[in-house]
Amino acid sequence: METIINCSDIGFSYNGTTVLNGITLSIESGKMLGILGANGAGKSTLLKILCGVLKPKSGRAVFSDQELSKMDRREIAKGIAYIPQDPMFAFPFTVREVVLMGRAPYIGRFEFEREGDIEIAQSALETVGIAHLENRLISEVSSGERQLASIARGLVQEPEIMILDEPATFLDVKHRTEIMNILKQLKEKKGISIIAATHDIFSSLFYFDEIIILKDGKILAEGRTDQVIKSEILSLAYEIEVVVKKENGRVFVFPNQ
Amino acid sequence: MSTNKKFLISITLLFILWIVTAFISIFTGTYSIGPLEAISNVDELSKTIFFEIRIPRVLMATIAGGTLALTGAALQALFRNSLASPFTLGISGGASLGALLAIRSGLAVGILGFSLVSISAFVFSILTMLFVYTISKVGGVVATGRLLLAGVVANFLYAAIVMFIQFFSTFTESLQTMRWIMGSLDVVGFGTVWKTLIFVIPGCAILLSSAKDMNLFGLGDDVASSLGVNVRWMEKKIYFATSLAAGAVISVTGPIGFVGLIIPHILRMLLGGDNRIILLSSFLLGATFLTAADTLSRTIISPVEIPVGIITASIGGVFFLWLLIKTKKEIIV
Repeated sequence: METIINCSDIGFSYNGTTVLNGITLSIESGKMLGILGANGAGKSTLLKILCGVLKPKSGRAVFSDQELSKMDRREIAKGIAYIPQDPMFAFPFTVREVVLMGRAPYIGRFEFEREGDIEIAQSALETVGIAHLENRLISEVSSGERQLASIARGLVQEPEIMILDEPATFLDVKHRTEIMNILKQLKEKKGISIIAATHDIFSSLFYFDEIIILKDGKILAEGRTDQVIKSEILSLAYEIEVVVKKENGRVFVFPNQ
Repeated sequence: MSTNKKFLISITLLFILWIVTAFISIFTGTYSIGPLEAISNVDELSKTIFFEIRIPRVLMATIAGGTLALTGAALQALFRNSLASPFTLGISGGASLGALLAIRSGLAVGILGFSLVSISAFVFSILTMLFVYTISKVGGVVATGRLLLAGVVANFLYAAIVMFIQFFSTFTESLQTMRWIMGSLDVVGFGTVWKTLIFVIPGCAILLSSAKDMNLFGLGDDVASSLGVNVRWMEKKIYFATSLAAGAVISVTGPIGFVGLIIPHILRMLLGGDNRIILLSSFLLGATFLTAADTLSRTIISPVEIPVGIITASIGGVFFLWLLIKTKKEIIV
């Protein structure tokens, strides 16, 4: 399997506080990778380094043979899409306008989106199932629909990787499942690699091929999902006893209270 | 409708609106001049009024109104807040003080065609902007309450210094300053117009060329950055360009209030949020609005001219109140 992102010995700090330390990992293309860890473990920072938004203070992050911190931002944007946890929309944009903004790396400073760009946006809206909302204001749709619009925006960047920071945290179980299913489809049908931070251990079991668990800015465990979602590892990661139980071929995860 | 079409239609309509307003304005005033008199050789007085006063004045109203509205729209994009404008952020106050200080220190001379008054106004605008931006940004996000408060504080400080200078001025000087602070478009000849344009053209060009990045910036720092925008560089460009253009205008006209607040706001309600459309259309509608307001100020109790700042501030004040009432929930941070 071909690797798409390679990190070696990455370190990062905010105002003197170390957030990430000695992160080395290689991410294979066409996989769905989950990043777990307690709040403040460094998940968001790692994601921002992987998509080139933050430059690591030490170490290197390499995306298809090029060092991210030396690449042109627009070039990165054509390969990597970033979807934040709680997307912000400062102006009265319609859903379609927001999605079209994903075409930004492909159009010039003084250009408007062309017919082709609009078709790409249309198909992305259909893929995530919100084509009927295209003319609604982004501020007027539900938070689940906003997150879907964000994913569609990432999709029209035509990326090789989509990086998502807790894409489903604020959503109810229906929308959470819907989003995870869409991500899985993007992986299977379009071959887009998915990297997502999540707090949802339970659904991680069904969706992620591989999992990395961070603790205090370091990698605590990594590997195939079934190898990592284990009671002793999770208990260490979250500092609370977590039970992983197999029953009739199904796995259950819950804190031991 | 595609964005492209929307851009063309709105810009064309607004341009026509400006042309019509400017045309009415140059033929309106205490001294009535018809199109024929202006170009005939018979009446020298009419010709002088027409070419040395009316046309420069309409041009100045266009430049000032357009620039204030465009910089207002850009500031709203930078602060991600529709209450930002040169006036509400205290930038107008800063520029006025800068200009006043330069005038009073006898610096009303030019270096290489650049007026020192404009440069001083520019320096004070950019300092005010940095002050307000630093104060109002908490954890990477601009807090509306702090933003408005910082603007109010800046305005008060500048007003205090202006009053201090006023206190030690002669009666005539004091009256001149007073008149200037009310905002006025009294210009004679084209000299001032050109001197203002030297600053305004590059400033506005920088802002217009950043419109697409401003859209992406509206999605948050991180998303903008992930879509190819150099966020820190873009912020610096907007600081610089708005201070340059707004400072130059205010150093000539005085702090004409509320144009920069109302115009972009109205346009966003009509045309949506795309800054590629909003910035240029703000310039055109701002130009039209100030030209019309100036025509009113010259004719409403003719032959007395009311300072145009009084007209814009009365219209703008009411509008601002309405805005505050409408957005009650968001404003308390």
